[in-house]
Amino acid sequence: MAHEDHDVIYDLLAARGVSRRDFLKYCGSLAAMLGLSQAFVPEIARAINQGAKLQPAVWLNGGACTGCTESMAQADSPDVATVVLEILSIDFMETLSMAQGQDALDAAEAVFEKEGEYILIYEGSVMKGFDGNSLRIGGKTGLEELDHAAPGAAAIVAVGSCAVDGGFVMAAPNPADATGVQMYLDEKGISTPVVNLPTCPVNPEWVVAIVVDVLLLGSLESGAILDKLDRFGRPKYIFGQTIHDNCPRRGHFENGNFVSEFGSEEEALGYCLYKVGCKGPQTYTNCPIVRWNRRASWCVEAGAPCIGCGSLDWVDVGAPFLNRHRDLPLPNVGNTQPGVIAGVVAGVAAAGLVAHGLGMKATGRMDGGAPYEEMKEHDRKRMKKGGGK
Amino acid sequence: MARQVVDPLTRIEGHLRVEVEVNDGVVTDAWVSGGLYRGMEKILLDRRPSDAFFVAQRICGVCPISHGHASTMSTEDALGITIPNNARIVRNLIEAAQYIHSHILWFYTLAALDYVDPVKALSADIADTYALAQAAGTGVSDFGAVAKRLQAFVDNGQLSIFTNGWFGHPAYAEDMPAELHLIGVAHYLEALEMQAVAAEIIAVMGGKFPHFMTSIPGGTSFVPTENKLDDILFRFIKLNDWVTNTMIPDTLAIAPFYAGALEYGGGHGNFLAWGVFNDDSFEMNNRYLPAGVIKVADGLTVADADPSVLSEDVQRSWYESASGLHPSVGEADAMFDEYNTEARYSWCKAPRYDGAPMEAGPLSRMLVAYLRGVQPVQEIVDGALAALGAAGRPEVLVSLLGRIAARNLETKVVCDWSLEWCNELIEAIAGGDSKYFEPHNVDEGMGAGLWEAPRGALAHFIDIQGGKIDRYQVVTPSTWDCSSRDDQGVRGPMEEALVGTPIIDPERPLEACRIARSFDP
Repeated sequence: MAHEDHDVIYDLLAARGVSRRDFLKYCGSLAAMLGLSQAFVPEIARAINQGAKLQPAVWLNGGACTGCTESMAQADSPDVATVVLEILSIDFMETLSMAQGQDALDAAEAVFEKEGEYILIYEGSVMKGFDGNSLRIGGKTGLEELDHAAPGAAAIVAVGSCAVDGGFVMAAPNPADATGVQMYLDEKGISTPVVNLPTCPVNPEWVVAIVVDVLLLGSLESGAILDKLDRFGRPKYIFGQTIHDNCPRRGHFENGNFVSEFGSEEEALGYCLYKVGCKGPQTYTNCPIVRWNRRASWCVEAGAPCIGCGSLDWVDVGAPFLNRHRDLPLPNVGNTQPGVIAGVVAGVAAAGLVAHGLGMKATGRMDGGAPYEEMKEHDRKRMKKGGGK
Repeated sequence: MARQVVDPLTRIEGHLRVEVEVNDGVVTDAWVSGGLYRGMEKILLDRRPSDAFFVAQRICGVCPISHGHASTMSTEDALGITIPNNARIVRNLIEAAQYIHSHILWFYTLAALDYVDPVKALSADIADTYALAQAAGTGVSDFGAVAKRLQAFVDNGQLSIFTNGWFGHPAYAEDMPAELHLIGVAHYLEALEMQAVAAEIIAVMGGKFPHFMTSIPGGTSFVPTENKLDDILFRFIKLNDWVTNTMIPDTLAIAPFYAGALEYGGGHGNFLAWGVFNDDSFEMNNRYLPAGVIKVADGLTVADADPSVLSEDVQRSWYESASGLHPSVGEADAMFDEYNTEARYSWCKAPRYDGAPMEAGPLSRMLVAYLRGVQPVQEIVDGALAALGAAGRPEVLVSLLGRIAARNLETKVVCDWSLEWCNELIEAIAGGDSKYFEPHNVDEGMGAGLWEAPRGALAHFIDIQGGKIDRYQVVTPSTWDCSSRDDQGVRGPMEEALVGTPIIDPERPLEACRIARSFDP
């Protein structure tokens, strides 16, 4: 217990008028956020007090639309200013860095020299096309940048579906040969642990949760974080249940009240969107609980069926987005009749469909409504390898 | 003939390299290179038109609303769908929220650090800061708390996103008081809050931001119940208050210290706008910010914008398909050989209008609207010109400072309209109009979605055959502005705007970065 350590985070908060008492309350709310008992409060406070420095981090943009950076700016508590001023020291981040050009790259390099101490946050797809030249940064390819940054990182947080498995960029025909961070590192034999946070873009509350998990609970050093991940490297406490499991419109589903036309009175009543294509039953995220944009709303509440942007290979699996799927295209398998899914795949998407889609069919709850999507030859042609580790 | 390279150009959306040649303290030539190829136009092929809305908006995580709208409009144009009036208003409101969000984020989070030096803010006197804020008529924050927070951050020595910034650069206005720097820092933090409020409006109407869900071909799947209407209206009121009382006064307070920026950075002087925010006629020239073209050769006069005279040159960028094609029949076959400013050097194509490079963005829209007599635009522009000592001379806006001012003034105009549209929607609902979506079952046709992202003219072209996308081409504002040289060797708008920019310290060309960022690429 290095109690004499300079107590940086507390000092920074004290500068904002946070008293010792407030500080402990803050630790208490963190414990609540993590679903921990209040008995952990002293533990968290000690973890914070031990920290002599802000956690060094670098945020790299691969083949990104910058939407995950944008999304990060929508973080609620802590807000983005607190994250970059008082929790992490993100010394390089293309969209926010004050520095530019070589000076910005030098700032990143200084972090890379602290081997094993920094967190690497990666946004966007890993761009392999044209020998990596489909992404050029500082006169080098994006691949060279990742090759250089990844081995020394304590951990990599892959934010957004593009970083997880290539996302929409790797949708057929994958013109720029995009892939995900974990898949690329496997190819290169780099073993840095990767935490995958899919959805398009990433939900900032999840990034913040991981930061708290790693920094305040020390779950990276203890290895505890690895136990919290599923086989796709996703934290189970975020991606363990389907949207359908927690959907506020679930009651209407149970009662057989469905929206059959967009923008209708049925929508004003908040009926279930399953018939107009909702992928909630096969999509494993906690969107209905955490919601989006500082909890203002989320897709289904705004009247939009879930498109499954948190699923692996989400564009090719989820499209056509506004149709119910009779055949569910699955990564590594090809188009599959629901009846044989359970026997072929242990994948989470399949389990979701079996649990909910088939159940609905069997009970006759799904008669009527928009037509089922037909078996499509072009989708069969599109199916390819990939879709997670 | 010293070449200076800024790569990556930070504080923008995406990956950009800026290379300038500096002679005797002035930029004499420039090359701008887009660093990323994803192949979106190929990804969309053979998919359903209704899926294009969801995928194509992901071209840009900062302006997905505009891409989503342009995509869905191209499908509606191809299939002959007219959306219900309520859907039109809903789309205007979502688009408005994105404009306000994007412009606040650009000015404070991306651009301000080129004009405001956080280190200078440390020496501000707190009482004087309050006095200055009141004199400038701008928002009063808890300046003491901000200064303390900043000091604690600096004392800690880990500068996070400020690491290696060009603090104390001689291009920061020497006579700008420390107190104004502190006001800038305080409002940098406030802006982070306000951009999030604007994004919340999009979440209410579109599910989430970035990447929204509801403006599907045919109208919108969002139905504004009473609960949702007040969530929207009162957030717009809050934003309007802040833009009126903080963002606009900040702009006018800082601008005089950089008045020299009225003298350079204008570029070719050609401007294109497709127009944005439909009225109930759905005509491009009747949009709240209307369509139009301004060509330098004709002086400051506006003509109708004609999408049939577009072409995209690719001889200087990494594509091997035919050069000079109209985007509705365009190809995008990528290749890569080497980065060579004498040959191919960018993933950006070179779009041209009737053969000429065109600037896209708020300056284009505001000039077109001004010349077309859009009253709120004329009033606010004339007011700002008077405040800058350039009354009656709108031509001075064709400059670095003019480009910045146009964006911030547009924010205020859009805020005012957003309140008008909220009321329009409330009245329509009160009058019994409950139609938001037009069902459709046509599956063939060609169409265009001509629209405006916050950063400029945006066009999506679609060709639908047998219910599937047969061709899809997009001309984004950043390909207009960050265009490489064309087949004739003519510079793109940003390249041209860089030429003539004075550079104090060639090793750290901050002034060139300001020009590039002023386009909000």
